[in-house]
Amino acid sequence: MENTSTSALANEPLLRIEGVSKIYDGHIKAVDQITLNVASGEIFALLGGSGCGKSTLLRMLAGFETPSQGRIYLGGTDITDLAAYQRPINMMFQSYALFPHLSVSDNIAFGLRRDGMAKEAIAERVEAMLKLVQLSQYTKRKPHQLSGGQQQRVALARSIAKQPKLLLLDEPLGALDKKLRVSTQIELVNIIKEVGVTCVLVTHDQEEAMTMATRMAVMSAGSFLQVGSPKDIYQQPNSRQVADFIGSVNIFDGLVKQSPANSAQAQCIDVECADALLRVPSNQACHVDMAVGVAIRPEKMLLSHKKPSAKINHVGGVITEMTYFGAHTNYHVKLASGKVLQVQVQSHVDEDNADLSWGDQVYASWGDNAMVLLTQ
Amino acid sequence: MNSTALKWFGRSWMLVVYAFLFLPIFTLVAYSFNDSQLVTVWSHTSLRWYKALMQDSDLIAAVMLSLQIAFLSALVSVFFGLFSAFALNRYRRFTGRGLLSSLASTPLVMPDVIVGLSLLLMLVSVQQALGYPERGLFTILLGHALLGTAYATVVVRSRLTEMDSKLEEAAMDLGCRPWQVFSLVTLPLIMPALLSAFLLTFTLSFDDVVLSSFLSGPGYSTMPMVIFSRARLGLNPSINALATVTIVVVSIVVIATTLYSLRQERQRKRDMALAQRE
Repeated sequence: MENTSTSALANEPLLRIEGVSKIYDGHIKAVDQITLNVASGEIFALLGGSGCGKSTLLRMLAGFETPSQGRIYLGGTDITDLAAYQRPINMMFQSYALFPHLSVSDNIAFGLRRDGMAKEAIAERVEAMLKLVQLSQYTKRKPHQLSGGQQQRVALARSIAKQPKLLLLDEPLGALDKKLRVSTQIELVNIIKEVGVTCVLVTHDQEEAMTMATRMAVMSAGSFLQVGSPKDIYQQPNSRQVADFIGSVNIFDGLVKQSPANSAQAQCIDVECADALLRVPSNQACHVDMAVGVAIRPEKMLLSHKKPSAKINHVGGVITEMTYFGAHTNYHVKLASGKVLQVQVQSHVDEDNADLSWGDQVYASWGDNAMVLLTQ
Repeated sequence: MNSTALKWFGRSWMLVVYAFLFLPIFTLVAYSFNDSQLVTVWSHTSLRWYKALMQDSDLIAAVMLSLQIAFLSALVSVFFGLFSAFALNRYRRFTGRGLLSSLASTPLVMPDVIVGLSLLLMLVSVQQALGYPERGLFTILLGHALLGTAYATVVVRSRLTEMDSKLEEAAMDLGCRPWQVFSLVTLPLIMPALLSAFLLTFTLSFDDVVLSSFLSGPGYSTMPMVIFSRARLGLNPSINALATVTIVVVSIVVIATTLYSLRQERQRKRDMALAQRE
């Protein structure tokens, strides 16, 4: 009996969400049948627009909402019916929710005092936390006497002071101005890694999710569209919605031309689009005349005045817009079909064809691996 | 009309309004130092009526009774107001919520005469059935607490509504049981509202005539009741002295609290500006 339980624990992910749904008023599905495992040490991001259910899912993990269906396990223990104050889970709130009537150190000590920890131990832990977030000289201050970035660090210190098994971050950088965000992002990840706490974060900002998370889920209408590493999701989106949500993308709509069987090298699927014939490497199941999309990231395209020699995988058009960003330049190229293509050219590449300008007839081309076939 | 004329018109209008508001009070204060027996005739300055006030044991007893009732009813009102506001604000669904919500605000709109009369009728029949309560301090307190609870509920409820509910969630997240959330986070944060609810209900009780008249019994006359009854018989300038004392006390309290909260607010703004600059 004991043996089986320990061996089961060895494979048990830290957090296991099993078929969890949250249904309001009997029919509004805020979260719909979510199943997810998060391993110990992961930083997992839930990414989605507002109303996609990511916050509801996070609140169910924290214990502020009870799932209508499904179970949540933490370290093998079913925590679904535990109250928020009984869970070894702490949360950093979007607006920080620092107690305005308590000093910085009292805020951090708040959770420790509820555990009935000895006074000396609390003082020691608070000091260690303050050191970790570099706020040692601010112990006596009240939250309103701190800047936004400092408040965020106090909130972080407070949420990890109890050494939770799972740390929840609700839009961790949402309340900071853009300038502070990038530096704070790195700082936050460093502290989380130093402490070694497993983390689930919620964000609507894809950049935030990509830079912070080791793995992420893109959510929409209460379900996961795709789960994977940030790189996987960016490079291999599994649907139009994901491709569209993460970064900018050009999607060519077309019909599958011929069965993929005959190609010599890798498996390829030919897609006939309004502007070009695309040969997309893919082993997805397709049939002739199936409507599909082909996604190509703007930075994976090249622009040239010369028409490429190959017959496939390029389009021609006219530059209608050109925005110089320093490190790169964004072009809008209007194709014959009326579709506007976004192309991003790095400046060092651009030097070779610096004469690209408004109204020029140009050709955009790309490598085989730049294309992703989207069947849904 | 040119702009100078307009400016002067504005100023004189303001003067008229101020005079309307404060002239009666100043007259009252001035006549408390008048030596004459008649309220309307000035003879010369003296503290005669202050001495008379100190010897007027009826009036002093009435003031003491009023203070006592005001203090107790404010305490009771804030206590019940706090819990009804909390229940209405934090528990969105329970049986009788709508009833409680409307009952809690009924005394605000109901004329005092009707509240007083209905309470009196109820108390009389209760007394006939049980032999208790005797009309007096307790019954006046009951009426004032009823009215005060309605006001306290409104004041506390608005503070609870504007309070960030995330703070309570954070407390729970950090291991607080519901009652700890309330005592460690909610209560300290709504303390200012409780204080202002206390002051408001204290004042309401202190100057109430209508409810007190209905609910008091023999030997229990509050200060406003005594003043009111004396006014019918012809006022004695010692009432002016009493009013002056009251005005001075109230002004000191109001000015002190205003200055204090103003200073707090300025300090807070300075702190916040400083924190942003660092």
